[in-house]
Amino acid sequence: MRPNVLGRAIRGQWRLVTISSVLYAGHQGTEALVPVLIGVVIDDAVATGSGGALLRWIGVLAAVFLVLSMCFRFGARTGERASYQAGHALRLQLTERVLDHRGGAEANRLSGALVNIATDDAKRVGAVNLALPIGIAALSGLVVGGVVLLSMSLTLGLLVLLGIPLLLWAAHLLGKPLERRSHAEQERAAHASGVATDLVGGLRVLKGIGAAPAAIARYRRTSQNSLAATLRAARAEAWHDGAMLVLTGLVVAVIALVGGRLAAQGEISVGNLVAAVGLAQFLLGPLTIFAWVNGQLAQGRASAARIASVLAAPYSVPPGTAALPESVAGRLRLHAVSHAALRQVDVDVAPGELIGVVSTDPGAATALLECLGRETDPATGSLSLDGVPLDTLNPDELRTAVLVAAHDADLFEESLIDNVRAGRDGDVRPALSAAAADEVAETLPDGVRTVLAERGRSLSGGQRQRAALARALAANPPVLVVHDPTTAVDAMTEARIAAGIRATRDGRTTVLVTTSPALLAVTDRVVLLDGGAISAEGEHADLVHGNERYRTTVLA
Amino acid sequence: MSGNGERADALLPTAGGARIRAVLGELLRARRSLAIGALATMFVATGIGLLIPPLLGHVVDLVAGREPADAITTPVVLIVLVAIAQGGTTAFGLSLIAKLGEGMLASLRERFVQRALHLPLEQVERAGSGDLTSRVTTDVSMIADAVRNALPELARSVLTIGLTLVGMALLDWRFLLVALVVTPIHVVTVRWYLRRAVPLYAAQRVAAGAQHHQLLDTVGGARTVRAFRLGDEHRERVNRRSWSAVELMMRGVRLVTGFYNRLNLAEFVGLGTVLGAGFVLVQNGAVTIGTATAAALYFHNLFNPINAALRLVDDAQVAVASLARLVGVAELPEPGEPSGVRPPADASIRVSALGHAYVPGHHVLRDVDLTIRPRERIALVGASGAGKTTLAKLIAGVHRPTAGSIALGGASLDELGPAATRETVALISQEVHVFAGPLADDLRLARPDASDEELRAALDRVGALDWARALPDGLGTVVGEGGHRLTVTQSQQLALARLVLADPPIAILDEATAEAGSAGARVLEAAADRALAGRTALVVAHRLTQAALSDRVVVLDAGRVVEIGSHDELVAAGGPYATLWEAWSDTRQHSP
Repeated sequence: MRPNVLGRAIRGQWRLVTISSVLYAGHQGTEALVPVLIGVVIDDAVATGSGGALLRWIGVLAAVFLVLSMCFRFGARTGERASYQAGHALRLQLTERVLDHRGGAEANRLSGALVNIATDDAKRVGAVNLALPIGIAALSGLVVGGVVLLSMSLTLGLLVLLGIPLLLWAAHLLGKPLERRSHAEQERAAHASGVATDLVGGLRVLKGIGAAPAAIARYRRTSQNSLAATLRAARAEAWHDGAMLVLTGLVVAVIALVGGRLAAQGEISVGNLVAAVGLAQFLLGPLTIFAWVNGQLAQGRASAARIASVLAAPYSVPPGTAALPESVAGRLRLHAVSHAALRQVDVDVAPGELIGVVSTDPGAATALLECLGRETDPATGSLSLDGVPLDTLNPDELRTAVLVAAHDADLFEESLIDNVRAGRDGDVRPALSAAAADEVAETLPDGVRTVLAERGRSLSGGQRQRAALARALAANPPVLVVHDPTTAVDAMTEARIAAGIRATRDGRTTVLVTTSPALLAVTDRVVLLDGGAISAEGEHADLVHGNERYRTTVLA
Repeated sequence: MSGNGERADALLPTAGGARIRAVLGELLRARRSLAIGALATMFVATGIGLLIPPLLGHVVDLVAGREPADAITTPVVLIVLVAIAQGGTTAFGLSLIAKLGEGMLASLRERFVQRALHLPLEQVERAGSGDLTSRVTTDVSMIADAVRNALPELARSVLTIGLTLVGMALLDWRFLLVALVVTPIHVVTVRWYLRRAVPLYAAQRVAAGAQHHQLLDTVGGARTVRAFRLGDEHRERVNRRSWSAVELMMRGVRLVTGFYNRLNLAEFVGLGTVLGAGFVLVQNGAVTIGTATAAALYFHNLFNPINAALRLVDDAQVAVASLARLVGVAELPEPGEPSGVRPPADASIRVSALGHAYVPGHHVLRDVDLTIRPRERIALVGASGAGKTTLAKLIAGVHRPTAGSIALGGASLDELGPAATRETVALISQEVHVFAGPLADDLRLARPDASDEELRAALDRVGALDWARALPDGLGTVVGEGGHRLTVTQSQQLALARLVLADPPIAILDEATAEAGSAGARVLEAAADRALAGRTALVVAHRLTQAALSDRVVVLDAGRVVEIGSHDELVAAGGPYATLWEAWSDTRQHSP
């Protein structure tokens, strides 16, 4: 069941929306008084030549303008606030869903497209909170106009009051295809900006092989497709606007026809006819506003559907209710685990053990890491930590004890030291030194306080790896799983890092998924996964000498 | 945050008013007849719309003149016809305006992406790629909004104001003068507004950019955020950035309401003056009461179009701020091609007295001299930070050296120019990026006209054909973000296949095998070996097995070449390379 994003966005700001509606209605009402006052001035002052009456009525006009001004001032402020706050709330909800510990929201979506949903679509849904008060004020203007007409003539009044719902219904019908068009057009536009984001993201790769011209040609095609879709939507919207003009013209014509005949037959006065025609013209305003509000609602609905599809994305794993013991010893057990490339893996890691896992198949290593971090539950078999099955634990609870430091971990746009601290207090210097990230800091202009570019892109691969490893070590979790932390690091530094990991993780369970002999040399024990199944187990030195498959995997 | 000020400085260029006008003029000239057609159609549509009030007046006259009821039918039918004509012409005019505006926008964003992809990498990195993407997403959508809403409204309002003022002058020339009395209030208001709006909109753009950046950081790094349980912190950051954008938007709203309040004042003063003038003119017998009424109603009818036209000053501000950011990049000079391109004579590389500093005074490379023969394979070795990557990037023409020169096949990089350099040398770094879309499209970035057979041959050469065939839709499988996820090894095999397709005589691999982990590294080393066959190659290697297999090894330390020679020579020499090799082979053998 998809959440009703639009309804919730409106309900969340109902106070502001209500206040804004009342003020906008006040604005509408006082605006309608202005032409009435013009008539009064003509009648009372210009026609009679009374200077006193002129001054008096101009004073009244000033008062009306004052109210009109203030109603608009505060109606707009509350309405806009409701609009921006709703957009902000949606942005946070989307962030919350994407970051949810159970995962699953990023599946099948470009992150550029997700960012687009969190910015533009959230804004469009929020904008409904401004469109509503304006629409409601227009509606009340229509009703007041209708009531005045009714008091003059039952026929004219009924005509308008019955005609309005009919017109609204027609506007709704006209808006439907627009909504579909708008949906398709926005998808295309999101795709075009997704392609642009992707190309900009791969800028270095493109430049490396001189493919920028080909990429430009490709973007041009995407942009032209998007242009064609936009123009189709714009044409639909233009004809929608045109049709609304015709409809409102018809309403004016009908009022003129009926009112004119009534006046000619003496049923209403000429003054009433003038007022009716004037009101019909005044009603043009609210009716054009309806067309606009309708368009805003159509866009808002299309955007709300996209937001709902993210919020309702299925989670990668179900939650759990079990709790970990107060102090986690770090006994990790895998029993007959089969998942993706993993086949019937049985491993028992003792508390405090430093174990190496060598996989001949990179896919099996990745599958193992996903299971250990509970980014997924294994197809068959089970994993447990201190005897608690992992699939009974909330992923978030599990991650308080088990940290899986992925090979392609992202750094963030903040200082190196803040990246390493990752929101924790305490002295991170030992971790920096163990990961040889202190050497990285020395090459940076402001040392550890240097602010990194987004996702750490201002660092080289080896520097990023060392910063990411320092972060994992500084977190000091009861169980640390590290995947290939030194593939871009030179041999001498790698040896230093191996010693650093050994010293820092002394007495705490650590799983090193790697084929680097420098790292494997410091482990207590190594498990060899060949084709996803365990084929050998033992100390690194023994395996190097005694196992041909191990030797060729580790020592190229 | 302390980084904010620096980031603002480091942002990509924004264009000034003159540049923007020139670009808009150029885009308009390319669509001259469309622009004229759109304007003419809107003129007709507005003119037709102004016929409705006189027709209603005619109905009133007929009734007041005690004409028979049936006489009303004619003006009413005319009103219907006018409405239909107005609807039709408006729809047509609006679609023409959309075609004009959207076409200009598409040209502009395409030019933007074209220039963006030619930007020097250093500049993009300093600004953050979020700056580029927010320009191509948020700014483009801001301008699209203006094109879709502001442009047609401006056309209609200006036409209505013009035609109504003509009407007032026809009643009595003095009414026109009185109507223009309030113009100073308008001028002062617009000035007051712009003085505050310009810096405010600039601040809004910066805040929107920062919000976009933060979302890219948080959403793109979601896995890491979850693993380190940084969710609260990142939610708070998104909250903070988003909220500061909201607050700035609200300041904008307060400014705009102040603007309208001042326009309300102008409306009141104007209407009061017109009524007063009517009073005086009627007393003097210069005009009739009916004319005074008409003048007041005409002036009242100007309220909406005047407000609409002046409000567009506001939309125009937003659009111009966005436009400045698009044009700023779109109008960067094209990288200059030398007048007479000197083609490389062979696939040799000569580097002389090369030096480089990213920050002045902070030398990363000094006095590097190096000659590489055609088809020779060189391994570049050294500790992290020794300058290997910088040297690789300089030879590939990514950065311009601060000192010394580089020649490929006897022609300096300047003589070659960017296009020929692109064809001569390729750089594959450790950065893995799979382009979103079908696998074949990704490969065709390297050679757009490659046949499926050529794509398969290239994949086969880097040992990737088996898994590529096994993908759900083969070469048509959608890969990259949002599609089928490839492993790091597969992604780098793809990068090497692109190299095979691009087929440059010189190739530079900067730890291209590093990210895959050592199991994948061996697969990639074999793939790289085949991809490099027949090319002059410079391989930045951290796995010394790669060094041992190359023709010569160059050892860099602190930005200088400290040793050059074959693997055996250097091991025998007992210098820095021998020490490195010892550390390496030590871990490899691990014998007691």
